[in-house]
Amino acid sequence: MHVTVEVVGEETHDVSVDDDGTYADLVRAVDLSPHEVSVLVDGSPVPEDQPVEVDRVKVLRLIKGGAP
Amino acid sequence: MECDKCGRDAVMHAGYSGAHLCESHFCASVEKRVRGRIRKDSLVPRDATPEDPEHWVIGLSGGKDSVVLTHILDETFGEDPRIEMMALTIHEGIEGYRDESVDACVELAGDLQMRHELVTYEEEFGIRMDDVAREDPENMAPCAYCGVFRRDLLEQYAEEFGADKLLTGHNLDDEAETALMNVLEGNVKQMAKHFDASLGPFDERHPTDDFVPRAKPLRDIPEKEVALYAHLKDLPAHITECPHASEAFRGEIQELMLDLEDRHPGTRHSIMSGYEEIAEMAADRYRSDDGDVDLNECERCGSKTMRDLCRKCGLLESLRAV
Repeated sequence: MHVTVEVVGEETHDVSVDDDGTYADLVRAVDLSPHEVSVLVDGSPVPEDQPVEVDRVKVLRLIKGGAP
Repeated sequence: MECDKCGRDAVMHAGYSGAHLCESHFCASVEKRVRGRIRKDSLVPRDATPEDPEHWVIGLSGGKDSVVLTHILDETFGEDPRIEMMALTIHEGIEGYRDESVDACVELAGDLQMRHELVTYEEEFGIRMDDVAREDPENMAPCAYCGVFRRDLLEQYAEEFGADKLLTGHNLDDEAETALMNVLEGNVKQMAKHFDASLGPFDERHPTDDFVPRAKPLRDIPEKEVALYAHLKDLPAHITECPHASEAFRGEIQELMLDLEDRHPGTRHSIMSGYEEIAEMAADRYRSDDGDVDLNECERCGSKTMRDLCRKCGLLESLRAV
C-alpha cells in the first residue's frame, strides 16, 4: 500500500509498505529510527508496532535538547 | 490497539517492556519512573525539614528534557516544605535559538510560580556562542566550548544560590550515549568521575566538597518518551535544534545505539545497568589509588582545577587572542 509520510518541517515522502507493514516500517523507509520520532495519525500519537491503517501520517522528529 | 491497563487507545509502544499505554497511563508511568529514580538515588535527605529545607537548583534550558523535569519536580515536590526549588537558565548568545527557549523557560517558571534566574555568557565572559562558533581558535566543535562554559556557570551559580544539588534533564539516551563514548574511548577514569559526579545514589557516592553534587532524575526515561510526555502535556518546550549543534562522535554513537535498540529492544537499559556497576568499581578503584585528588584554584577565576589555569579560562584566553 502507498502512504504519504510528512516529516514535519522537512520533506514529504511517498512510501510503499507491505499490507502488514507497521508505522515503524514507514519511519525506517524514510531513513529515520522509530526511537527518534513520534508518528501522528490525525494529530494523535500511535504505537509504532501497529499495522498501518491510514494513507497519510505525520512524523515528528525529536529535537536534541543540546544542553540541559 | 488498546492500552494494557484500560480500554482506551494506546498512544505508544515500549519495545523494551512490550507495554502499550494510553495517554494517561503513559504519563503516569513516566512520573512513576522519575519518582522511583529520585527515591533510589536518595535525592531527598532524611534530615531535610521545613525549618531546614533541601535546596535544589534545576538547570532549565527550555528544551523538552529540562521542561519535563521541572514540571514533574514541581508536581511532586511543589507543595513539599522540605524542598525548595528554583530554575537556572544559561543564555549562550545564540541568536534566535536561545531567545525563544528563554521565553519557554520564563513561561514555565511563571506558570509554576518558581523562582527563575537567567545568566548569560555575554555578561559573565564577554562572549557569544555565535562569535565563538565563527572564530573557533582551538579548532573544536562549538559544543566543546559551550559545554565548558555552561558547566562552569551552572556550577558557579548553583553554589551561589546555595544549592545542595544541581538537577539536570539528561534522559536515558543521553546517559547511554555518554556511557558508550567512555567505553569506546577506553576512558575508565572518566567513568569513575561520572559515578561520583552524577550517577551513583547519594548514599554511595563520595562527593568532594569542591563541587555541587548533580542528579539526573530523567535518566531512566528514553528520549522519545520525554518528548511524547511534553507533547501530550502540552508543555511550553522549545523545539528547534541548536544551529551550532555538531558533536560528531556523539552523533555516530547515537546512530549506532538506536540501530541496536531497534533490533534488540532494551539495549539502552542494559548498557546503563552494566555501566553503572563498572563505573562504581572504577570509582572505588580510583579513590583507593590516589585518595582525594588535590585541586588547585585557577589563578585567574579561583575555580577548582588540576591545572594552574582552568579549562574555561584557557578557552577564554584563546578567544581573546583572536
